[in-house]
Amino acid sequence: MTHRPYTPWLFLLPGLAVCLMFTIFPFLNMIVLAFTDASALGGGQFTGADNFVRMAQDPKFWVAARNSLLYMVCVVPPLVLLPLLIAVLAQKIVPGIGIFRTAFFTPVIASAVVVGLIWTWLLDSRGLVNSVVEALGGTRIPFLTDSTLLLISSMVVTVWRGLGYYMVIYLAALANVPKDLHEAAMVDGAGPVRRFWSVTVPALRPTMVLIAALSAVNGFRVFSEIYLLSGGTGGPGGASTTMVMLIQSVGRGLTGEVGYASALSFVLFVILLGLLLITLKLNRREDQL
Amino acid sequence: MKLALRYAGLLAILAISIGPFLWQFATSIKGPNEDVFVPDFIPDDPTFGNYAAVADVVPVWSFALNSLAVASVNVLTNCVGAAMAGYALARLRFRGRRFAAVIFAGSILVPFEAILISLFLVMRGLGLTNTLTGVVLPGSIAALNVLLLRNAFLALPAEVEEAAIIDGANAWQRFTRLALPSVKGTLVVVALFSFMFSWDDFLWPLVVLSDQEKYTLTIGLAYLQGTFVQNQRLVAAGTIIAVLPLILLFLLLQKHFFRGVGEGAIKG
Amino acid sequence: MKRRTFLAGLAALPITSSVAGCGLSSNTASNSSASGQVTGEITFQTWSLKPKYTDYVNGVIDAFQKQHQGTAVKWVDQPADGYLAKVMADASAGSLPDVINVPPDLSFPLARAGQLVNLDESLKDAKPEYLENAWQAFEIPGKGGCYGFPWYLNTGPIFYNKALFQQAGLDPDKPPTNFKELEQQALQLAQKKVAMLGQTPSIADFGLYGVKLFENDKFTFNEPKGVEFVETYKRMYDAGALIPEALTQNYTGAGAKFMAQQTALSPGSAYDLGKFKTDAPSLYANIGITKPITNTGSANMFLHGVSVPKSSKNQATALAFGRFVTNAENQVKFAKLASIFPSTSKGGDDPYFTTEDGSDEARVRVAAAKQLKTAVNYTPVQFSDQMREALLQQLADAMLGKKSPKQALDDAVNECNRLLK
Repeated sequence: MTHRPYTPWLFLLPGLAVCLMFTIFPFLNMIVLAFTDASALGGGQFTGADNFVRMAQDPKFWVAARNSLLYMVCVVPPLVLLPLLIAVLAQKIVPGIGIFRTAFFTPVIASAVVVGLIWTWLLDSRGLVNSVVEALGGTRIPFLTDSTLLLISSMVVTVWRGLGYYMVIYLAALANVPKDLHEAAMVDGAGPVRRFWSVTVPALRPTMVLIAALSAVNGFRVFSEIYLLSGGTGGPGGASTTMVMLIQSVGRGLTGEVGYASALSFVLFVILLGLLLITLKLNRREDQL
Repeated sequence: MKLALRYAGLLAILAISIGPFLWQFATSIKGPNEDVFVPDFIPDDPTFGNYAAVADVVPVWSFALNSLAVASVNVLTNCVGAAMAGYALARLRFRGRRFAAVIFAGSILVPFEAILISLFLVMRGLGLTNTLTGVVLPGSIAALNVLLLRNAFLALPAEVEEAAIIDGANAWQRFTRLALPSVKGTLVVVALFSFMFSWDDFLWPLVVLSDQEKYTLTIGLAYLQGTFVQNQRLVAAGTIIAVLPLILLFLLLQKHFFRGVGEGAIKG
Repeated sequence: MKRRTFLAGLAALPITSSVAGCGLSSNTASNSSASGQVTGEITFQTWSLKPKYTDYVNGVIDAFQKQHQGTAVKWVDQPADGYLAKVMADASAGSLPDVINVPPDLSFPLARAGQLVNLDESLKDAKPEYLENAWQAFEIPGKGGCYGFPWYLNTGPIFYNKALFQQAGLDPDKPPTNFKELEQQALQLAQKKVAMLGQTPSIADFGLYGVKLFENDKFTFNEPKGVEFVETYKRMYDAGALIPEALTQNYTGAGAKFMAQQTALSPGSAYDLGKFKTDAPSLYANIGITKPITNTGSANMFLHGVSVPKSSKNQATALAFGRFVTNAENQVKFAKLASIFPSTSKGGDDPYFTTEDGSDEARVRVAAAKQLKTAVNYTPVQFSDQMREALLQQLADAMLGKKSPKQALDDAVNECNRLLK
């Protein structure tokens, strides 16, 4: 033992206290509501598993769960790989690199409303892309009004917004790749591509797993992109609704069905926790230092 | 040649990244006779008058000062608190470590919007509604930052610490003197993210605060969209004002992302 | 990660804690009564009136404090973005301000949950001071009781784009005056690839068409007339008279399309004219203004009100202030500033609302004021956000041909009736 048994808990105390008090406790409170028929303004009788039975029979839930899952599966690979490539591109100090890095980061800090505006301008029925398509003799593509295309368009926006954000995490992690590994590989005569795969990628594995987990969670929980591109709805007839959109629309406002929304949130949490445990398992080796 | 390729790549990504920012900026300097809803990146009649008008409408400085206070405290608490927790998770062996890691990971999974009202009631119970402390507390040590720093500490070679242990350094000394200086890059990222989230946060400060004197900049700027009056040029100028400090901060900090174990750039 | 919130009113997922359910908020009325002394401090919360109307509101507060010595009114103005979340949080915690500015769709759920003071009980003489249709808007249908002082009203003309009308060979001075003409002209515009409308019909549009919306505690807009109305829209949609985005658009989105000159016609409010002037000057140059399209002879009306929560510790002062803010004199002054209309029974008699001076603004104003005498708040107060969304989604399915209009309306009505409980 290199420390007293309670030392780690002293290190953890502030962080755990904040998480338990301001996230976990309110969350447990919410779980209780999942078993009631609470409305937004109080009330709430214990109704057992009624909300979950209703969910199983609610076609909207299945549509939303399917869309969320699809969304996650599609955005994770590009979000793990593309920002890494950009980070590798942006890691070397060349003149003006600061400007480039900052510019790459602007989508992350741009106001969501503006992001929605510009992508709508690009993709809507009379948008820029469609005028090009029409000029080339094609017919307009319903990027935002077909439920499948709307999902794909939103994924593009999600990936686009994530590039700068995950690039920053990768940049920081790249710094932790021991320099001598690269040098050793160079002595062995490995070219830049080989070194990327045999040195950089293995060294970044914990970060890649973290980013995979983060982008999976955020992908499954997607809300803003679809919301902004579909004018605040889940696409025509609600066919592009995702889990969080469904939760929002059920629980929203003073007329919200809070009990049912809580049940949906709880299920969302359980699904995400399952996903997380899988990634942790994949990451086991790193985990046991 | 290699450099030319690199710049070609950088420029390509620049082109797809910068659009919204340019749009926002173009709208913010449009003159009174130009259409706002028709996209146009080069205003015919550019003016910076909209910026002055924002300051007339909203007391930008006093709101910005509140935001700055909240964001700075948030940076401090996150860097310290998350580093401590991250260090314990990564470098100390103890029973319950996995449990603690799950608490943090689980916190990331909880959607903030779902606990908004519950959280408000907790804050009210603590008597911290309508205070800036109440604004700061929930995000003061973000679970994501704990995990980021945990990963950074994991990357440290074990030998360094083993030597220190032999020299009789205790956990706190190893943390402050050895581990912390080695993860500067990640600390800078954590500082940046903490500042950014705090600076941008809208819903929570709005719900917690009720006195206008305590409002943060994002809430203040929401007044630009009045009930019967709004001018999109002012809204755009407002968002630029809000985003500018973040851009400057990023520009200043970006070169430090790289201060890690290697201290400096790696030859690519 | 992305904790940034946009359009936060909608993004706010309200979850009451079980604590609130146990009645932290509802039983606090006993320590305060409506018949107490008008004195002491109260808080007044408005919906996004700063900074444009700061002087006006402060003037009203000063006048009230002068009239009632010993009172102090603290004014907090909340931005529109997130207003709902704010009210939600405060309602759950039982900490609503003493006087709150709410439209009927917010006052209704609060009143139904027993959180608002009943004005019919507490101030028996107030009712005649207000327009009857405005007072009704704050009643709980079927149960009686009024839970808000009507404040400002609005109704609007129809705006249309003269240039687009001309482009399609339509007479720009003959906009549609009824739904039949609307369809004819829309089909003609569609032939020239110009879309007339940016939205599928809202519940209020059904009302304007003469559809019976609500009867005997149930929604009824799936009656034959409603089906007929949806069929009209289906024909227009198939011809391309609605932009494709109409299926998912909310009011704001549709307004933006009109300003970008992608649609030819849009319902609006008197103050929209100012918005066109600042945000879309080239549309403003071509703007046409006409009467609302209605089959019932009545226009649609929107309104805001002022309510007093039962949790207020100083109900007497709060009620007195709510009544003061919404009295004829204060309302007329406010209406003149903000291009809206007073809800007091005599407010509309002011010459400002009855005489034109030749400007577009005055023309819109006088027409709207006349319209308001018979206007109806067609949106039933029970019609919640969730119901609005259900209607929108069912109409989208009908437009796309996934369901017959009848089926879509039946489904919408069933969902609305389920949500009613």
